[in-house]
Amino acid sequence: MLSQLTRAVHRCTPLLPVIGLVFAFAARAQFPPGFDPNGYCVGDADGNASVTVDELVTAVDNALGGCGFVPVTLDFRAMVGPEAFACGNIYRDIGTSSVDVIPSDFRLYLHHVRLVTSDGVEVRLQLNQDGMWQHRDLALLDFEDRTPPCNQGNSPRNTSVRGMAPPGDYRGVRFVLGVPFALNHENAAIAPSPLNLTSMFWSWQAGYKFLRFDEALDQVRVHVGSTGCEYDGGNEIARCARPNRGEIHLTDFDPATDTIIADLAALFADSDLEVNHPDTPPGCMSDPGDSDCGPLLQNLGVNFANGLPDPSRQRFFRVEHPE
Amino acid sequence: VTPTPEVARSRSRRRCVCAEASLVAIGLLTLVAGGVASAIEYEWDLPRGFPPPRVPEDNPMTIEKIVLGRLLFYDTRLSGNQTQACASCHRQEQAFTDGLDRAVGSTGEVHPRSSMTLTNVAYGPTLAWANPLLRDLETQALVPMFGEEPVELGLAGREGELLDRLAAHRRYQRLFVEAFPQDADPFTIANIVRAIGSFVRTLISGNTSYDRFVFGTGTLSSSAINGGRLFFSERLECFHCHGGFNFTGSIVFEGQRFDEILFENTGLYNLDGAGAYPIPNRGLFEITRKPEDMGRFKPPTLRNIELTAPYMHDGSIATLEDVLDHYAAGGRTIHQDPFAGVGSENPYKSIFVVGFRLSEQERADVIDFLKSLTDLEFVSNPAFSDPFEPVTCPGDCDDSGSVTVEELVRGIQMALGGSPLALCLSFDPNADGEVDVVELVGGVRAALDGCA
Repeated sequence: MLSQLTRAVHRCTPLLPVIGLVFAFAARAQFPPGFDPNGYCVGDADGNASVTVDELVTAVDNALGGCGFVPVTLDFRAMVGPEAFACGNIYRDIGTSSVDVIPSDFRLYLHHVRLVTSDGVEVRLQLNQDGMWQHRDLALLDFEDRTPPCNQGNSPRNTSVRGMAPPGDYRGVRFVLGVPFALNHENAAIAPSPLNLTSMFWSWQAGYKFLRFDEALDQVRVHVGSTGCEYDGGNEIARCARPNRGEIHLTDFDPATDTIIADLAALFADSDLEVNHPDTPPGCMSDPGDSDCGPLLQNLGVNFANGLPDPSRQRFFRVEHPE
Repeated sequence: VTPTPEVARSRSRRRCVCAEASLVAIGLLTLVAGGVASAIEYEWDLPRGFPPPRVPEDNPMTIEKIVLGRLLFYDTRLSGNQTQACASCHRQEQAFTDGLDRAVGSTGEVHPRSSMTLTNVAYGPTLAWANPLLRDLETQALVPMFGEEPVELGLAGREGELLDRLAAHRRYQRLFVEAFPQDADPFTIANIVRAIGSFVRTLISGNTSYDRFVFGTGTLSSSAINGGRLFFSERLECFHCHGGFNFTGSIVFEGQRFDEILFENTGLYNLDGAGAYPIPNRGLFEITRKPEDMGRFKPPTLRNIELTAPYMHDGSIATLEDVLDHYAAGGRTIHQDPFAGVGSENPYKSIFVVGFRLSEQERADVIDFLKSLTDLEFVSNPAFSDPFEPVTCPGDCDDSGSVTVEELVRGIQMALGGSPLALCLSFDPNADGEVDVVELVGGVRAALDGCA
């Protein structure tokens, strides 16, 4: 009877938590119905092996009130050092040789966004499914607006990630820079927004560009994506030798007031843009043989040596507090 | 999303005269399918000895898609600056290559590699010279369209412009709906590559003097016959990588249990003595970064090889004779920088590239054999030709040089909207997507007076 009631409660619960539960069950279904993926009795919030009337009342409240999730917006801003990013602006003193850079594109995908509580617990941010910028747990940040020379882009920009999370005392945020493996190798020709932008296609590598930065005079290009991908025996990409997804950990961050800065000057801070690795395109196209990629990927939270995440040395993203 | 039942009717391309009964049948089938309009299933007309190609489940072959794909393949609207089409680098008279050592894209950027022939490309388990990730034509088409390294058709970020440009064209308005009748808006990137893939999949070539000889309907010169013996001998070893009905070891077809995917290093370069090929033409290595994949490229079909010079992935060998000399030497030695090196000593070289000696006559024999793989019907087949050429004979649907009564009936049915325009574009010389009275009269005149 209890399990029936639990099921009924679940039926009434708004969509997002249900999806979360379904995913959780799909991933780790080693317990029978009535238990959650961690082996706890569903509805037994205090873990004393019984479901009390109070706990049931809470569950019914959650069913009616959407679990009390609150909207959370993560604001991002593209900067080049102290200056705001804009297509076509001339930014001086970029990189170790202080060159001038004129941006002509700047977009990136991120996913698996987590808020971090003051206790250090990660809480998943459930992204709003807006049919445009956000799909499943993926979001596209688009800092260009098609102002020349950003001719490959489109006029709308997107500088925030919007979702729902339980109310909490959040002090940090974590996310992965890139497209998740499960979405990266699907058929791009029929993919939903924001995976249907052809300038983010990376078809010869069977995936997407996770981040693209282009420069008007083509002194530097940064196209990050997974490389060395290969099929299993059948028709699915099974693995990529270098995933090149950056893990980003930001602390001292209050989602209500703070902004996440994506700073191109920081991205290039350790690069000499006057020198290019021989026989490679200017900048970095994620070629493991292109030494220019080393400092760039490191600053994006990726270990260039193996393409695996390394949050410890990224400096592209930082937190800005209100003045 | 509920999958729509595919209501496919089997009809031969040439016999497709839409009689009243057929129209009634279409109507009934449409009702059965719940209002989904059906398309005309394409029936393969394969050369003897050829298995059916594998077709992606989500893109069954229909006449409407093939006709649309042919237009798109030849349409310069398909490049960012509207200067190039697929056909710019894949010209029918050169067996769908371009005669260049390395292709040149719509913005003038030179591609590192040579345009590949599209001869029998439907049987490729992987596409392009050395990309194990491109497994079907629909996916492959995204690379020339939207690729930026290098820019080919230059459409990255311009998908909206492209779709608007096509949707503004009246003939496309009709043909996209005919090809994708179940779609509310058929103008999508997915449908463009489905149509192009469908057309390119029909580029089948197997009508050569070699084939006629094998099946006892023609003869070969004694020189070509002897060349064939040499080709298939353990002395030359050619057939290991260029065997089978398509003269390539890289092959897939319907019903095959295991795709045969092949990439080989033929000792063209050895820059550092350790096997290096020039960047960015290092073959499979460019994708996998595995040392053993250095210089490994897909062995292309040898059908129509006479027409596809210059040769190799980078067009670095001008003639068939020179190709043969390269293999006879067991690899190429280059004395001058920047590519100096002894290719025959490349550590990753195929075990079958061992070298051989040929007399002058034997060398000529092998060349004669290779030339017996040329299919002249393929390079002149009107079904594969540029559909934007002016219509010389209105109503001559099958390019036979005359207009029959059956063709006139088809024209009338198209004019009335009861038959797809895709069945006969030559009834629409002004390309407005409609068959009007003037165009019908043009067909009648051609039927009475003969084609000009």
